Parts: sequence; structure tokens; C-alpha cells
Amino acid sequence: MDKAHSVSQASRVNLPELLSRVDNDRELLLDLLTIFKEEFPRLLQTLHDAVALQDMKQTSVVSHTLKGMLLNMAIPRAATAAALLERLAQEETKTSVPEAFAAFEMEVQGLLPEMESCMGEVAR
Amino acid sequence: MRILVADDEHLSRRLLERTLERAGYEVMAVENGRLAVEQLNRPDGPRLALLDWVMPELDGPGVCRAVRRQQEQREQSYVYIVLLTSKESKEDIVTGLESGADDYLTKPFDVDELKARLRTGERILHLEGRLVEAREMMRFKATHDALTSIWNRGVIVDLLGRELARSQRESGCTIVLLGDIDHFKSINDTHGHLVGDEVLKEIARRLLLSIRSYDFVGRYGGEEFLMVLNNCNPQSVEARAEEFRKVVNSQPIQTAIGTVQVSMSLGVLLSSDWGVRPVEELLYEVDAALYAAKAAGRNCVRMAKPSADVRLAIKETVQRLR
Repeated sequence: MDKAHSVSQASRVNLPELLSRVDNDRELLLDLLTIFKEEFPRLLQTLHDAVALQDMKQTSVVSHTLKGMLLNMAIPRAATAAALLERLAQEETKTSVPEAFAAFEMEVQGLLPEMESCMGEVAR
Repeated sequence: MRILVADDEHLSRRLLERTLERAGYEVMAVENGRLAVEQLNRPDGPRLALLDWVMPELDGPGVCRAVRRQQEQREQSYVYIVLLTSKESKEDIVTGLESGADDYLTKPFDVDELKARLRTGERILHLEGRLVEAREMMRFKATHDALTSIWNRGVIVDLLGRELARSQRESGCTIVLLGDIDHFKSINDTHGHLVGDEVLKEIARRLLLSIRSYDFVGRYGGEEFLMVLNNCNPQSVEARAEEFRKVVNSQPIQTAIGTVQVSMSLGVLLSSDWGVRPVEELLYEVDAALYAAKAAGRNCVRMAKPSADVRLAIKETVQRLR
């Protein structure tokens, strides 16, 4: 688990890539990081509840939204995990969904503090 | 240029909004498909749109279908639509384009690619604008007199036919006036055709200013003008005809060679006096009244009145219909 965690850590928030995506607009990047910080925990909780209730439609919708956010923030591994969750929910593969959700949770673990430190760097 | 961005995801919406503002667009951002349709279907709505595929209430392809449907029904300006999607399968792309999207872009988008694709959209909209302008110009030329810019003969006769049918349906009354400029040939012969053209233009302008917004005036022939006044009070017919005569005659016309005094003879008829008659017959009758005005010394008005036989026939028809 530690190994998996360290692999995911290595591929997360890529500040130079993010800055290049926003054309070095630091103010915009700060806006985006703030939106992410506010919305991500809420969406993650909604996804958690949907998976627990085996609500495949809601699981698919929320994982799609999370996938989009993560792609925009240049966090590809977590976005791939969200995409897998979305596909499984669309296919109504109920048995595999909790496992895919656990993998996704692992990918995004510790992401928010990382975002905060990123915000500090951008604001400097 | 204004652009609509529709995306339910706040972060993506903000990113697009700012990126497009920096590229010089005036951005309008909405968070679902229903709001996107509302904005795009407004006559003054944005003509360029960037839509997320997956949205609540109505998805991107649903918005495309709604916008295209409205365009067909109301002949509205074209909206260039780019779908933004994380779907990449061929089937999805085909579905998106079949729904009426012009282009698609996969998420996360590359800023330069986004700008380039929107520029393509702008080029197409610009071309569409020029085509619409050309079509409108052709439509105007096909329906208006080239010299005076009032309705041409074909259209004014058609409008007369429609108004007569309507007033018969609604038991109303239409006044038909046919005016002819007196001694117009001598104006041309004395001052030249350019002055004659100036006179025609000025008279058309005066007649146009003398009618209500729902009446019509057209150039019927060389120096003949046909006026169709809808939903009129039959008692006012002579006074209205006199107004037209005076508006031509009261002020001399300023031309390149100085002022020219002009008068007009008019024939006039009331549709309610004639029962159900073909347009051609009524035009014949009002033309005869015009010639009666010419014969009476010009610069006057003569009414077309049905003969006693015609009046009797109309009365019998009306009674039968009751």
C-alpha cells in the first residue's frame, strides 16, 4: 500500500504543467485551486454515498465530474481511476464498483494538502 | 465576439471563461443545457457556443438538437457549436456531430487548439453573415422598385389581393388608390430623365410618409403609384384620397435644376362597394376612375362607383349569403 501510495504521489499536482495550461495566469490558477479545494471534498462524499447505496447513475455522474476536474488540474492517474469508476457504474458492474472506488480514494488521498501547498507556491 | 460556455462543472467553466476572455471573447457562462438553449435561441443570443457534453437537465447533443430545430423553424442566424467532451469513441463523436454540433474538442483541451477551432467557427459565421446579407439584398431587389425603393408592381398587386381577401373575410373595407403624375412626360422632356427620376423618388417618399405602418404603397407603372389602405372607414375615402393629392401638389419638388411643381390625378375605390371581385377587375375599375380624373382636368380625385346593375347583383349576393 505504501508503494502504491508513493507511486500515485509522484504523478500528482504538476505545477509547471498547470501553469502552462493557464498560460501562466497565476490569478486564474489560484481561482481554480480554490474551486477544487471547495468542491472536491463535497463531490468525494457524494460519490462515497452513491457507491454505498449502489446508486449506479449517481456514481457515474459524480465520477464523470471528478474525472473532468482532475483532468483539468493535470492529475492524470486519479482521473483514470475516476474514468474506470464511471465506466463500471455505467455498465452497472455493481460488484466491481466498491473496489474501483477504493482505488480512486487511494489515488486522491492527501491530494488536498498538496493542493494547498501548491496554492502557496502559486501565490508567492 | 460573444460566446456561450455551458458546463456544469464550476472549475471547467471558470477555466474556459478566463481563457476565452483572454482570447478577446465576450463570454456568457451557464451551468446547464436548458439555460444554454434559452440563451442561444434568443434573437440577440451568442452565435458561437462551447458546450460540455454531459450536463444536467439537457446534455450537449440535446442542446444542439434544440438549437437546430429552432433555427429551422424561425430562420434564425446560424449558431456555431463546439462540443467539449471527454468521450473519445467514434460512436460518440458521430452522435455529437449528428445532433448538430459543428466540431468537438476533447478534455482537457489545449488552449491553442481551442482558439484555432473557434477561429474556424468565426470564419464560418462571417461567411454565413455575408451570405445572409446577399440573400437579403436579393430579396429586397426582387420585391422593391429599384429607383424609389417602394414595393414593385408584382408585390403591390399581390398585397392588394391579400388585403382584399382579408377585408372580405372580416367584412372590412380596403381603399384602393391609383395615382398618376400629371404631365410627367413633359417633365422628362423639358428637364431630362434624371430630374424625372428625382421627381419619382420624392413622390414615392411623400406617399410613403402619408400612409400608416400597415398600409402599402408601390410603383405600379412608369409614373403610376398604387396605394392600399387597410381596414378603413368608408366615410373617410374622399378625404384620404384628397390628402394624397395634396401631399404631391402642395410643395414643389427640389431637384438638381431647381424646383418643379407636380400634381397627381387619382382614381379611388372602396372594396366594400364591389363585392367579391378579382383583383384584375378592381384594378381595371380604379384605372378607369383615374382616367376620369385626367379627363376632368387633372390634379383631382375620381371615385370608381359600380353601375346600378352591379350594385343590384351585389345586394342580391349579400342577401343570399345572409
